[in-house]
Amino acid sequence: MNKFYHTLKTLFLFGWSLFVVFPFLWALTTSFKDANAITSGATYIPWVDYEPSTQGWTSLFTTGSQGINIVGPFIDSASVTLIASVLSLALGTLAAYGLSRFEYRLGFVKNGDITFFFISQRIMPPIVLAIPFFLMLKEIGALDTIFGLVIVYIALLLPIAVWVMTDFFAGIPKELDEMAMTDGCSPIGAFFRVILPNSVPGLVVAGMFCLIFGWNDFFFAFTLTFTETQLLPVSIVSLNSSVTPWWSLSAFALISVAPLACVAVIVERYMSRGTMSGAIR
Amino acid sequence: MLSSKHFFLLPALLTLIAIILFPLLFTIRVSFSSWDVFQSGLDFIGGKNYGRVFEDERFWQSLGRLSLLSLISVSLQYTLGFALALSVWKQVRGGRFLRVIFLIPMMTTPVVMSVIWRTVFHESLGPANDILSMFGIGAVPWLSSATGAFISVLIVEVWQWTPFMFLLLLAGLVSLPREPYLAAAIDGASTWRTFWQVTFPLMAPITIGALIIRLIEASKIMDTVYVLTSGGPGTATETSSYYIYIRGLRDFQIGYSAALSLVYLVIMIVSLTVIAKLLLRILVGKVG
Amino acid sequence: MFQVEQLTTSDPKVSLQDVSFRCEAGNIYTILGSTGAGKTELLRALMGLNPLVDGDIQLDGKSLTARPVKDRSMSLVYQQFINYPHLSVLDNVAFPLRRQGKNKAEAQSLATEMLATVGLSDFLQRRPAQLSGGQQQRVALARAMVKKSRILMLDEPLANLDYKLREQLREEFPRLVAGNDNSVILYTTTEPREAMELGNTTIVMSDGRIIASGPPADLFAHPPNQSTASVISDPPISFISGHVRNDALYFSEDQLAPSDGLQLPADGPVTVALRPDAIEPGGDFDATIGLSEFSGSETIVHLDFEFGRAIMLVEGIENFAVGDSLSVSISAEHIMLFAPDGRNITTRIK
Repeated sequence: MNKFYHTLKTLFLFGWSLFVVFPFLWALTTSFKDANAITSGATYIPWVDYEPSTQGWTSLFTTGSQGINIVGPFIDSASVTLIASVLSLALGTLAAYGLSRFEYRLGFVKNGDITFFFISQRIMPPIVLAIPFFLMLKEIGALDTIFGLVIVYIALLLPIAVWVMTDFFAGIPKELDEMAMTDGCSPIGAFFRVILPNSVPGLVVAGMFCLIFGWNDFFFAFTLTFTETQLLPVSIVSLNSSVTPWWSLSAFALISVAPLACVAVIVERYMSRGTMSGAIR
Repeated sequence: MLSSKHFFLLPALLTLIAIILFPLLFTIRVSFSSWDVFQSGLDFIGGKNYGRVFEDERFWQSLGRLSLLSLISVSLQYTLGFALALSVWKQVRGGRFLRVIFLIPMMTTPVVMSVIWRTVFHESLGPANDILSMFGIGAVPWLSSATGAFISVLIVEVWQWTPFMFLLLLAGLVSLPREPYLAAAIDGASTWRTFWQVTFPLMAPITIGALIIRLIEASKIMDTVYVLTSGGPGTATETSSYYIYIRGLRDFQIGYSAALSLVYLVIMIVSLTVIAKLLLRILVGKVG
Repeated sequence: MFQVEQLTTSDPKVSLQDVSFRCEAGNIYTILGSTGAGKTELLRALMGLNPLVDGDIQLDGKSLTARPVKDRSMSLVYQQFINYPHLSVLDNVAFPLRRQGKNKAEAQSLATEMLATVGLSDFLQRRPAQLSGGQQQRVALARAMVKKSRILMLDEPLANLDYKLREQLREEFPRLVAGNDNSVILYTTTEPREAMELGNTTIVMSDGRIIASGPPADLFAHPPNQSTASVISDPPISFISGHVRNDALYFSEDQLAPSDGLQLPADGPVTVALRPDAIEPGGDFDATIGLSEFSGSETIVHLDFEFGRAIMLVEGIENFAVGDSLSVSISAEHIMLFAPDGRNITTRIK
């Protein structure tokens, strides 16, 4: 590969890395500022441009009128996301397996139509269903609860799980299922004993997407929760609209995105093994 | 007569239908009423709401804005994502580290990042204008002008979602067969030609999938706009989702927003299907 | 005793039509047919993987057709190397035993024995992906045999292996499956040679039907019909459209064909089948050489006659140039006659 392309490539990678990392670095520095550090314009390096302070961070862990509680929303976000992701992944994987191995027919509706039905749910913008969901949850007394949000999130995440796993199962030869059945497994047994253990790459990808879209949802949490259940995205938006200092906001933001950044590390490990290429298509 | 095949499909299918059936039916019914939350019952006003939708300038403008935003941002995401994937495809120094870094933006919460971006684009206290001034460029009205706001949203979207394209395209590149490249090398093809004649055609199926998925998700854009610009200044960054939200959850014109939602949904399904078929024809037609 | 009656299926690729046969335990039955003849479809129908339109399958007098796949006491070795990727070789072979209810220790001990039989004792803890093709098939075979099912089926098990390996495993095969006295072994193949070597009985299939069955040597010497003759010969038998007129056999309008020792049917059209060893260089029939290829230590020559094409098999490696003329003799001893409806009507008179 010649020099020109090489330099171009290096510059490009360097430039993009800078672009990617910039907001995080900015938030990091800002989280250590206080009122003096901001008033005269943008500042960057602690101790050089300004005097650092831990106000931003400590305020997150104090409750009461002066503090911003981050622990509560963190736990609520984690609970809702994990429960909804696990359930969606379980149901979605079963459905995807069924669609890839068996023939279903209801009138003129066939496998392909059913798959399309699942996947097309993603086209629906949250706004379309927000108000009806509100009324529905109100009826069953699930507004402002983790239970209510989980129900709604399942509708959001199930299509994703089906999408990824249908593609994945298409790549596993049916002969493997047949061999399991010949060896004494029922069709359901074949799935759990043979196919599932060989589906880890697909499950990782599907699970990752479920976690991402679950943790990062704002709109439904915003419409359907108020005081009892507070998720991270909703908390930060209400902090943003009330008079919250930049340093607290930045610290809050960094803690909010930290968990999934760790997921990125795990995903990269799978990617470099090449095992994911069968799962993503 | 239930058999094992039902065991697999029915739980998911019934769950999904149970959860969305009422909301869907309700939305349809309320779109034919003028309900605004304060009344106790649902009246019936026929297709009046739909008539209003078709004459609603603001709605159609929002649709245009949304299309422009989606098309530009997804194209940029695709091009950059592809370039990134190609760059780290073969062995690169620090490749693993780079790959992790490149993935992170897509894992972050859009509203949370938008809160940060808002401070970045702050016209007097934020680093964006500060850095520009170091290069002698004057302050850009990031959030206070129509074009500036549009571009800000674009930047945030590209930052956030290019990793998605990167992930999909890299996974695709990694699983490409080697033979065509050996053949191209033997034929002495240049890097540029190898890309267009070998890589790009082989990646056609993944390209289509990635573009469609991103277009679907991009069309729903709401969170970023809500925090970064609140649809403004004025209506400069008001996307369809945001407009429907205003009518529904701010003005409480539930009936009308339901009609808007359904019209919007139909338009989305139709246009996305058309785009999908078009992409299939263009890219697959060119290849084989 | 394993009995199949009038098995009929409906499948877009190949449908089985009225397939019936009977098997005794302790025997190897080779199922011979070209690709698309229905061999795989037959095995899958027996297993219960493909639905039946009609027919019955019986084992020791009891019907199997209503039973699920796992309750039919059958094993199948696929053409593609199918093993459980997530299990070690040992656990792969132990898998069916565990499903039978045996505990881990017992299952692994039986599996170890079986793996010793197929020569893989050194590979117990490897994963199938780490093994060569031949080794993977041995694992599949070991797993198929370890549960002592009543019907052991192999679907062209050696087809995906390279030539040398195929020969080697073919030679080993009888030893590998020895001791399965209680089982019926069904082995499908497209190669007549394999059918001859391995089976006590050969069942010939074409187009979803059974067209012949019997000891392979008999089928080779006296194929009951034309389809069987074309399937069972390698190199292929050549067929010439001839006729009988005035008690003489003709290849074409006036080209006499050798018929010493053959009882000729009444006047009328007849298909003359020439075995490759019926033709030898040096004789009265003129031909042009169409193609010449080496096969092992023999030469196969495609000849163009006035009355049609035929294949000649010559011992040794000889060079024949394409386009050259060659005069050959045709011996009636290796000629067969078939009636227009396909029946073999070759009768030799002393």
